[in-house]
Amino acid sequence: MPEYTVLTVVSVVAVVALELLWLRTGLFRRAQYWIAMAIIFAFQTLVDGWLTKLSDPIVQYAPEQMLGIRAPWDIPIEDFGFGFSMVTLTLLLWVRLNRRAEARRSGTAPTEQRPTEQPRPEMTRPDATRVDDR
Amino acid sequence: MDPYQYLLLMAACVVITLPLEFVLRARVYRRWRLALAAIAPVVVLYAIWDIVGILRDHWSYNPRFVSGIRLGVMPLEELVFFIVVPLCGLLTYEAVGYVLRRVAAIRATRTARATTDRERADA
Repeated sequence: MPEYTVLTVVSVVAVVALELLWLRTGLFRRAQYWIAMAIIFAFQTLVDGWLTKLSDPIVQYAPEQMLGIRAPWDIPIEDFGFGFSMVTLTLLLWVRLNRRAEARRSGTAPTEQRPTEQPRPEMTRPDATRVDDR
Repeated sequence: MDPYQYLLLMAACVVITLPLEFVLRARVYRRWRLALAAIAPVVVLYAIWDIVGILRDHWSYNPRFVSGIRLGVMPLEELVFFIVVPLCGLLTYEAVGYVLRRVAAIRATRTARATTDRERADA
């Protein structure tokens, strides 16, 4: 397998394993994550499409280092694995760090494993109209 | 403008996602320390990958569209990319979270109102 393809697969497997075996933030079970990823992928296609267009490429790829499947437009298919692992890793770290910061503020130990996302108080309060703390 | 094409594309990403911070209350810039802490390891890891890719000839950068400023073998633009793209990711994620919470809150209000109306009708 070409090297860029191998590295992409490794990065995706590593990030998924990091979540499932170690961080266990529950991110993959949240609709918020999958909706955000769908939006991110749409915008990635625009930006990456511009970067990789063969008519005027900003980034030039060596054909022998990748599968050679370029779609949509001229985007190397590997780029989507690259983007997935990069953004997912960022979100995993973000969720974990936020939880830690919240736990520190409320003086409780951070909960490493939450099977389901705890609903925010305003979601359970029927009279809630204020959803932001500002 | 051509040498700044890549940088301008990154600037456009920052500008387009900026309203998410305020309009959809992402509060990512507001928590800049946490954002920095989440993005820093990603920058390091993906910069290493980028350098490997450059040295192993997986990809190269068109001199026409980059500033020419380099950090070792890596163009400045790539460092900017590894900061901007994760930042856009965080803004999107938090904005979606805000919208989902708003929808849940509105639904809850409606359910509560319907319940009170029913109770009033029963009384």
